[in-house]
Amino acid sequence: MVEKRKIKLTVNGVEMEGEAEPRTLLVHFIRDTLGLTGTHIGCDTGHCGCCTIIMNGVSVKSCMVLAYQAEGANILTIEGLAKEGKLHPIQEAFWENHGLQCGYCTPGQIMSTYFLLNRNPKPTEEDIRRGLEGNYCRCTGYINIIKSVKAAAEKMAKGGS
Amino acid sequence: MAEAILSKEIPVPRKWVGTPIKTKEAPRLITGRGRFVDDIKIPNLLYATFLRSPYAHAKIKRIDTSKAEKLPGVVAIVTQEDVLKWCKPYPQIVPPPADKLLDYPIAVDKVRFAGEPVAAVAATERAIAEDACELIEVEYEPLPPVLDAEEALKPDAPLVHEEVGTNLAWHEVFDYGDVDKAFAEADKVISLKLHHHRYGGAPTETHAVVADYDKGTGVLTIYCNNQMPMFCMALIGLSFNFPTDKIRIITPDIGGGFGSKILSYTYMMLISILALKAGRPVKWMEDRREYLAAGTHCNEATFYVEAAVKKDGTILGIKAKTLHDVGAYLRYEPVGALLWIQVSSGPYRFKNLRMDVNALVTNKGPVAPIRGYGRIQHLWMLERTVEQVARQLSLDPIEVKLKNYVRPEEMPYVAPSGATYDSGDYSTALKKALQMINYEAWRKKQKELWKQGRYIGIGAALFQDSGTNNFAQVRLIYKNNPFSGNSRMAEMWMDEFGRIIVAVGSNPHGQNHETVVSQVVADVFGVTPDDVFVVPGFDSWVHGWTGHAGTYASQFAVSGIGAVFGAAKKLREKIATIAAHMLKAKPEELVFKDGKVWVKGTDRSVAFWQVANLAYRNNLELPEGVEPGLRVVYAWKGPFKLPDMKKKTLNATLTYSYQAHACVVEVDPETGKVKILDYAVVDDCGVPINPGIVEGQVHGSAMNGIAAALYEEYVYSKDTGQLLSSTFMDYLFPTTLEIPDIKVDHMISPSPFTELGTKGVGEGSLVPLGSIAGAIEDALSPLGVVITDSHNPPERIYRMIKAAKK
Amino acid sequence: MIPKSFDYLRPSTLQEAVQMLDRYEESKVLAGGQSLIALMKLRLAAPKYIVDITRIPGLSYVKEERGKLVIGALTTHDTVENSPLIRQKCPILSEAASRIGDQQIRNRGTIAGTLCHADPSADVPTAFLALNGEVVALSPSGERVIKASEFFVDFFTTALNPNEVVREVRVPVFLPRTGSAYIKHARREGDFAIAAVAAIVTLDAKGVCKSASIALGSAGPTPLRAVEVEKALVGKKLTDDVIVAASELADRGISPPSDIHGSAEYRAEMAKVFTKRALRLAVSRIGG
Repeated sequence: MVEKRKIKLTVNGVEMEGEAEPRTLLVHFIRDTLGLTGTHIGCDTGHCGCCTIIMNGVSVKSCMVLAYQAEGANILTIEGLAKEGKLHPIQEAFWENHGLQCGYCTPGQIMSTYFLLNRNPKPTEEDIRRGLEGNYCRCTGYINIIKSVKAAAEKMAKGGS
Repeated sequence: MAEAILSKEIPVPRKWVGTPIKTKEAPRLITGRGRFVDDIKIPNLLYATFLRSPYAHAKIKRIDTSKAEKLPGVVAIVTQEDVLKWCKPYPQIVPPPADKLLDYPIAVDKVRFAGEPVAAVAATERAIAEDACELIEVEYEPLPPVLDAEEALKPDAPLVHEEVGTNLAWHEVFDYGDVDKAFAEADKVISLKLHHHRYGGAPTETHAVVADYDKGTGVLTIYCNNQMPMFCMALIGLSFNFPTDKIRIITPDIGGGFGSKILSYTYMMLISILALKAGRPVKWMEDRREYLAAGTHCNEATFYVEAAVKKDGTILGIKAKTLHDVGAYLRYEPVGALLWIQVSSGPYRFKNLRMDVNALVTNKGPVAPIRGYGRIQHLWMLERTVEQVARQLSLDPIEVKLKNYVRPEEMPYVAPSGATYDSGDYSTALKKALQMINYEAWRKKQKELWKQGRYIGIGAALFQDSGTNNFAQVRLIYKNNPFSGNSRMAEMWMDEFGRIIVAVGSNPHGQNHETVVSQVVADVFGVTPDDVFVVPGFDSWVHGWTGHAGTYASQFAVSGIGAVFGAAKKLREKIATIAAHMLKAKPEELVFKDGKVWVKGTDRSVAFWQVANLAYRNNLELPEGVEPGLRVVYAWKGPFKLPDMKKKTLNATLTYSYQAHACVVEVDPETGKVKILDYAVVDDCGVPINPGIVEGQVHGSAMNGIAAALYEEYVYSKDTGQLLSSTFMDYLFPTTLEIPDIKVDHMISPSPFTELGTKGVGEGSLVPLGSIAGAIEDALSPLGVVITDSHNPPERIYRMIKAAKK
Repeated sequence: MIPKSFDYLRPSTLQEAVQMLDRYEESKVLAGGQSLIALMKLRLAAPKYIVDITRIPGLSYVKEERGKLVIGALTTHDTVENSPLIRQKCPILSEAASRIGDQQIRNRGTIAGTLCHADPSADVPTAFLALNGEVVALSPSGERVIKASEFFVDFFTTALNPNEVVREVRVPVFLPRTGSAYIKHARREGDFAIAAVAAIVTLDAKGVCKSASIALGSAGPTPLRAVEVEKALVGKKLTDDVIVAASELADRGISPPSDIHGSAEYRAEMAKVFTKRALRLAVSRIGG
């Protein structure tokens, strides 16, 4: 008999709940049960980082977390970054610096950047590369992504969020 | 605001064409509001997964789905039985005997590669479908696999397709110029055996399909992320026993393709069959493991090359026998084995070329038009050959390349195969790239560094990105193939409020077509790109399309934009006719700016919406002979010709972008690991519509090439034919720590063959395959190491160094 | 992509956890999940019960106690990497943790998790062996301490009983005049090692090597001590000649695996190369 039960968690500041079974992965719970499809799936082995979200303040690959492990957690997904239609400086920076092409890896890149810049507001290029090591991109060759992160750091230093 | 310019004032940029504006696609993608196939939700949706063959080659003796069918939540299972009811075999484009090759979307009677689909399950949850697959019993009788092109050619090799009677699916010899004379006159003949490995596109989004059959209307809607679904309709229509007029194909946002999202028509059909059997819509999202095994690879090729040269480094002619390992099915092949004809002599001006081309089927994954399809393998072969020519003649490889390049004053240049290079200055590009990596300084330091035991090398290569193809090329495979030319269709309309809307027959997956189309249209109408709405994605019921529609083969800036430009001019003409009537002026006297049509030199104007009012709601005031409405369709037709079947020549592509890459590498002699110390690219894609987008393409293509040269390889077990690089743990997609910064500079050689002087640019040709191989060889030149593989992982280099030092 | 079904148990104390492990057959501890969930998604592992210990409080800490650093089982790799205490007093552990995967993996993966997963190509187990560390294992019948030299038994197999869980990890505080290095040879920076070396050397007041501990990763079914290398260093001044000669012994007694990234022969050669490099780096880092 498959156990299914409701779990509650806070997502983008809103308390949400949904049904899950033990083997439900957090990424599927976010996408299919909660309907937040901005977080993406790109691989089976926890490498590509397309599923990166912030859970209890740290960046995690949501495909490598069971939904049950996130019960009661505080989650931030890509949908929660812009506030009342105003883009987060990281989002602006990616747009202005052509840090995306197909956009599939982009939510993950942005969430990893969010974690990096909140922890290290003045990263060197080495820090940025290390910080985004777990986020694959096929379109950009990473060059404009790194440019975008540098620009985002500057924006945030000037007084973004 | 500047007056709209319609004439071709090259290379002066227009107001919007040539400007690196921010993309229109980004706002939805940076907020997680993109709509990819897996995001699509439909009521009653079922979820599918596949059971796949663990064997590279085996007979299917028995499939028993009874246990799986009983699992609660399982709604339908499809096996070869269903497929044989719903499908005829796919047509092939090769002459007999390989035209008899039986190709279905699922394995029928035999499995021919590890990972081939054997059954498809649809269930109420994806997890249940996976559980069900484990309950399907398949009895296999394993057969010996053939895993190498040369092995496949042997008379006693296991046959991948018994019905064909051979593994040699296509063989053709192309003879241009006078090769025998060239070899007779040579001072020296250089011989090489080369191997170009298997790697792939690896977009971050895998294949996905949602099939939704509406029992009421009989319409089958297929949502997919195929890059050219309307092209694939030829195969679907000829194979699928379903009325084609009731198939609607929609592609929403697509997460990259790189050529690997073309052959998914097999999945489009399989998921549709599953949906028809289940009586409910079905969604399938491919796992990465499935993608790596079956989601298509690039052509693997072995070359036996001979070059006839003069001792001053002049290349007189080249002979090459190539063996293409195309995997278990042909599908788009042997086009990949043919496409060297788009370049033939590459950037070089030798006239004598003989190509003995062989396409072999093996028990490996099928190949597809992966980025640079068929040209990269050939161009890499040419670079390796030219560099060996130099080394064996004790000349500088760079000097030999520059000596043999086609000269800018020879453009447009007709290469041996009939390929006509439109424009370009290869020498200047290569020299510029070398300058950017401080070539002279490194050369000076190099000898000293060798003495210190440091192996640093410089490599430079130039590959062309031949774009906008002529489908008549497939007649050189088989004269009966009913394909030729190229076309794109665009539909454009102005609504009654003066807003411009465009729907183009393309399937963008990162190329930002909504942005570049807006720029071109904005210039035609004297508005801003924000005043032009490009319908996102593709819907076969909304977007105009021909059988060539799609996003592939580096051509949107020519064919897609050609269609858009043509439609824009047509619409503008109609608006001008109506406006002229309203303003009592001649159409030639009108200018378009600021959303209005003005009589030149006066302050008399009408707004777009006023013109639209007459067309949509007030047509008794229209001029004589003008139809109501403001909606046009335009199909761009490529200015191609049919091939000369006797000489086997044709102008296969319209435009030739190119990139010169230069790099400095250090080889660690103790480990064989290669580190890139500096990397520079000079790109020339004619007139860029959006330089920011172009530069992004250049970055991505360079990364793709570095990945292929040093990290990514599809490795098969030599005994069992299992794919060993089966997940991202072993298929080494490079991260931010592997890809260096890449400096980019640009040249603009407008194409004389296109209306805006643009050239297709998306593929970029993975030039690092050439530059990095050359740099490694240069670094290890004191040891006499010769690089003959396109993929050079540490152990391979380590062993070459060890052997050389003995 | 999706694991086979299992029952999920969430103990609120470690005692509860080990009682669950004892009671339920085919039960497995889940902490950060970066190794276990990956295996379960590929259906290479299919435990019937998952005992999730991540909610048990008081298991994430780094403290100094009696000449050792004691680290709670659930301390993440990111914490280990950045802990000032570990960086200062046992830097090789921080260095090894910094090489694991990527930031997101380090944010979730735990020190006990990686030790118990016992992948000989992983970073922390190799450093842990060189450190002569210890784990404190809890079972329903009590606690025991297991030394690093006895902890790793085979590929992905430790000396833990099925009803045991690691509560704490202990590593020694570096003595004065000690230098260390953890380096690995991998295709990509964050990959599992083709060859890895954890080297710790301590000199006496005269500059003679008084102890050397070298562990090799990816050299056999478990991390292995390069005993011959160590013997060739102790009692000598660590000149480059001594280091080079000693490193030639690194392939003694090892049985590295073969895969598409490196054959066994290549790995054996690399064990020597990286032992040499690790020793040079370790010696260069010896302070006063």
